[in-house]
Amino acid sequence: MTTHGRRPEETTLTVWQVVELARHPNRPYSLDYIRRLAPDFIELHGDRLSGDDPALVAGVGTWHGRTTMFLGHQKGRSLKERVARNWGMMHPEGYRKALRLAHHAAKFGFPIICLIDTPGAYPGAGAEERGIAAAIARAIMEWFRVRVPIVAAVIGEGGSGGALGMGVADRVIMLENSIYSVASPEAAASIVWRDNSRKVEAAEQLQLTSRDLLAMGVVEEVVTEPEGGAHLDFDGATRVLDEALHRHLQPLLAQPADELLQHRYERFRYIDSLVHAEPHFGPKID
Amino acid sequence: MLNPRAHAELPIAGGKLPPIPLPTNCPGCGVGLDVDVLRKRTYVCDCGHHFRIGADAWIALIADRGSWKERWGDVRSHDLLNWKVPKPYQATIDQLAEEGLNEAVRTGTCTLGGRAIWLAVFDFRFVGGTLSIVAGERLARGMEQAAASGLPYVLVSASGGARMQEGVLALMQMAKVNAAVGRLDAARVPFFSVLTDPTFGGTAASLALLADVNIAEPGAAIGFTGPRVIKQATYADLPAGFQSAEFQLARGQVDMVVSRTELRLLVAHLLEMYP
Repeated sequence: MTTHGRRPEETTLTVWQVVELARHPNRPYSLDYIRRLAPDFIELHGDRLSGDDPALVAGVGTWHGRTTMFLGHQKGRSLKERVARNWGMMHPEGYRKALRLAHHAAKFGFPIICLIDTPGAYPGAGAEERGIAAAIARAIMEWFRVRVPIVAAVIGEGGSGGALGMGVADRVIMLENSIYSVASPEAAASIVWRDNSRKVEAAEQLQLTSRDLLAMGVVEEVVTEPEGGAHLDFDGATRVLDEALHRHLQPLLAQPADELLQHRYERFRYIDSLVHAEPHFGPKID
Repeated sequence: MLNPRAHAELPIAGGKLPPIPLPTNCPGCGVGLDVDVLRKRTYVCDCGHHFRIGADAWIALIADRGSWKERWGDVRSHDLLNWKVPKPYQATIDQLAEEGLNEAVRTGTCTLGGRAIWLAVFDFRFVGGTLSIVAGERLARGMEQAAASGLPYVLVSASGGARMQEGVLALMQMAKVNAAVGRLDAARVPFFSVLTDPTFGGTAASLALLADVNIAEPGAAIGFTGPRVIKQATYADLPAGFQSAEFQLARGQVDMVVSRTELRLLVAHLLEMYP
């Protein structure tokens, strides 16, 4: 864990304050980071099937002397931009575009960086009509076959299957004030209580902060944000993210692809191993 | 599509289906129900209405009588997030266990028309058939063993998605299970998925729609986001039949919509064609 003076577990914020920070309207979004990490970034578009999803930015840039594929959920800053980016909620075209470019990266040996920042996949009729469930399912399965290193970072909201569809990686790290959850607090409240106004209670039950996920063994590291939060210092937030991403990617670059894929499989296959260790869970694999 | 004579000797169910709670009249056609007749027809009304059945009934339906060998039934869930409201999670799962239900997914081996298969069935009665750590573990172990042994894998899904009360670890089951689907696929082991009412969320967006042949039951609701949430989020008016099995067939997500009364014959026939 990075310790720049202050440790991320030393927080005085409530769970709901963390949720609000993760969704802060001035928080740096994927392109804010990508343009700072790789100033020569070239955006690539389209799933080559039917469309381009503006909720996912993707492209190549030089990072630490190496061509790297960057993929990230993209939210908008102004109202017009937010609408155009669909609040960072991907349609099926987005997951298909991500897979196309993941295979593209593997073809040329580019490592992949995924930045996760989405409330979830788009919960609308059009997404359903064009097969959002199968698009996410296929993406999750295919990520396990991409023969180059992948490091994912949750930079804001990691919402549900929409986030996991971009979150199968060799290492997953989280910014300090980001969240990652089975469902947004509003959706969980709506499912459990049929009342989405009980979002604060739901957030507290869900254990969705970066510290909770680190404790559960779901992510490798929590990256300490600049004092007060990433929204106060874009350059500082990029520096700590850059350092952590690079540190995690470095050892992966030397690994043979078969070994990389085997470890990626095991990372998720035994991700609940802390629970396996509990006596109630029954015998380990026979 | 099917050659009915090829499996004319095969009964529509492997064994006797257990009784299920039924209304007095069919919600599909309004006709009064004869429980014994319905049970012999695998709980499908003459009008085509398919009643939801649990894991025990699915096992009795698919498996040849006496061939079912359950695996990992002793793997149990527990309350890892200390979930308290509206009801303690531990109390919920303890009560369901007392009612004789064993988690949202049961898995094991059996034969169908004499062919050995792996079978996994969801049970919607157990917290809405939600994908939990135990469910994911049983699914992944079964798929890994099917991939290693070459036995075809048959899945019957009925699920609301990932289980909220297990938090992000429930979400991670989608990745765990799909990694195993990838192994099954790479081993070129046939995978047949039967999607029943309802199949949504993290189950639809993980293994249920990734089979080599996707088979849906008539009228089953299948999708990612449920209609209530879509209406809340987008104020959209959803047309009748939105997310039905027939809707998914028209949009290319399932290979066929097949009545439960023909399912066993169909799967037996598929098992012959995909050695």
